[in-house]
Amino acid sequence: MSFERSATQRLFYREAIARALREKMAADPSVFVMGQDVGAFGGAYLEFDGLFAAFGPARVRDTPVAEAAMIGIALGAGAAGLRPVVSITYMDFIMLGLDPLVNYGAKLRYKTAGRLTAPLLLKTTAGAKGQGVAHSQCIEAWLMGVPGLKLVAPATPDDAYGLMIAALEEPGPVVFIDHKKLFPGAGEVAVAPHRTPLGKARIIRPGTDVTITTHSYMTRVALDAAALLQIQGLSCEVIDLRTLLPLDLDLIAASVARTGALVTLEEGQLTCGVGAEVAAQVQRVLGPLKVHRIGALAAPVSSNPVLERACIPDAARVAAEVEFATRRSGR
Amino acid sequence: MTRIAILRRMKLIRAFEAALAARRDHGFQLLSTGEEAVAVGLCAALGTDDQLLTGGRSIGFALARGLDPGCVMAELLGKVAGPNRGRAGRGHLSWPEAGFFGAHAVVGGNISVAAGVALARLMTGAPGIAAVVFGDGACGAGSLHETLNIAALWRLPLLFVCNNNQISVSTPRGAALAAASIADLARAHGIPAQTVDGMDAEAVAAAASHAAEAVRQGEGPAFIECVSHRFAPHSTAARETRTAAQLQDIRSRCPIDALARALLASAEVGKSALERMDDDVADQVRRAMGFAEASPYPDAAEALADVV
Repeated sequence: MSFERSATQRLFYREAIARALREKMAADPSVFVMGQDVGAFGGAYLEFDGLFAAFGPARVRDTPVAEAAMIGIALGAGAAGLRPVVSITYMDFIMLGLDPLVNYGAKLRYKTAGRLTAPLLLKTTAGAKGQGVAHSQCIEAWLMGVPGLKLVAPATPDDAYGLMIAALEEPGPVVFIDHKKLFPGAGEVAVAPHRTPLGKARIIRPGTDVTITTHSYMTRVALDAAALLQIQGLSCEVIDLRTLLPLDLDLIAASVARTGALVTLEEGQLTCGVGAEVAAQVQRVLGPLKVHRIGALAAPVSSNPVLERACIPDAARVAAEVEFATRRSGR
Repeated sequence: MTRIAILRRMKLIRAFEAALAARRDHGFQLLSTGEEAVAVGLCAALGTDDQLLTGGRSIGFALARGLDPGCVMAELLGKVAGPNRGRAGRGHLSWPEAGFFGAHAVVGGNISVAAGVALARLMTGAPGIAAVVFGDGACGAGSLHETLNIAALWRLPLLFVCNNNQISVSTPRGAALAAASIADLARAHGIPAQTVDGMDAEAVAAAASHAAEAVRQGEGPAFIECVSHRFAPHSTAARETRTAAQLQDIRSRCPIDALARALLASAEVGKSALERMDDDVADQVRRAMGFAEASPYPDAAEALADVV
């Protein structure tokens, strides 16, 4: 039995998403997928591969390019009793559907006094990978100030599976953010059905000198930077936030209380960013604190490889900034 | 619905809105005075399994759908006896158990949501259709055009109802829409469409019943355009931009007066019966107002209720 409990399978990130959807669609006839090229094509990153063959065109619906209507229709179907998964190919395009998401979905339970809720899972892909100024953005921080939404950004195949399962059990709308550079990656995923609870961060590298909070693809950059800094004698504790709304403030604050320093890392913008919110919330608990935030340059993300690299944090830049920040804070 | 029942329901809407607007604390309301025939005519074509979604000009439709006037008044005045505990108001009033899936005050914002409600019926085989009401002001918005396309493509059980009152706040329909006929917007997608006199409740009821029946039979979406007139300014806080002469002309086409005249002319109803009807309606509105006034405002702690 103990062998079965520990049994894992090696899955690509995209396969973990497809597995979670396959299991949920098999168990619950109200779950269905709609989006551009999600059918026989299997999704831009094959993250819906096999679903069309297994469940057919009624439950794996290709849509026209009409993000506003797609999100509104999915919310209406959810409010009327189904459990829709709507795929917005790139996160940049959620802007086209923010009206139904923010003005309808996020407020539905409140405004109806609980008569209706919209259990929508909006899956979208963020991140820079050579596709230019309108196909590269990480705008998750925009959504963190919307009461009624939940926001997850898994970094590993196991969390992609587990958070997808858990998100499909939520009563209201959840935005599920993956990342272009995570799709080619593989990792161990438990064979037995399981879930990663929303609202729980995870320490992915223990350390003693500084806490680095990050999420999604930037977890890998943070781990690489932490390895570089270990050589210089600086011990970094790296936290994968996993859920951005609600934040796991307990875990983050406990870590910062131990290490005494906080560095936040994100691929998006610093101004009003994820790190700004993490820092503010941690300081509300722990009081004044040395904080350093790392993110993209305040510029669009070009498809030009030189300019894209210049814009987005990499391990060398993160290591240098963490080293500078901790030295400044007196270590 | 009988012609007498239609008349009575229209009178209820008129008297209800007048009583609401007369209060100093009525808040910010979008009245449907003048447009009662669209609301009552449409709702005459809907059954208990159907769901109605509207824009922010929702009061007439909510009452036409049969929602309890006392509960609706409580909602509009922010009282906890409202179906949404006074949180939603006119802009977001909903009572899905009563077939009123709800208002949504973003212009055009409920159109795609209604298509989702229709999709849920299509996918589960649940009975009933979805109907969505929007104004001419929503017809330039992308949400209508995107949803018309998908509804036609997926043959959704959805009845589109444009309440074309011919003016969007201050902008005349002709200054906002290039299409010569709003109904043509639907026809471009292969959706059957009809334009009716929105000041004639029976004409609206006939067109809505015909269209709803086709939708019920699985023929996909249908579209009706009801050409109406709004008697009051856009909102209780908005300036009137039309001239006194224009308003006099518009108000001479009152749908309530027209139906009452027809009923008198055909001797279906007498003068004294009409007066009794007015008294009954006034009494119903008084009771609704009393019910709403007796209900408390929510506790301030409810600001955090039902958020996630």
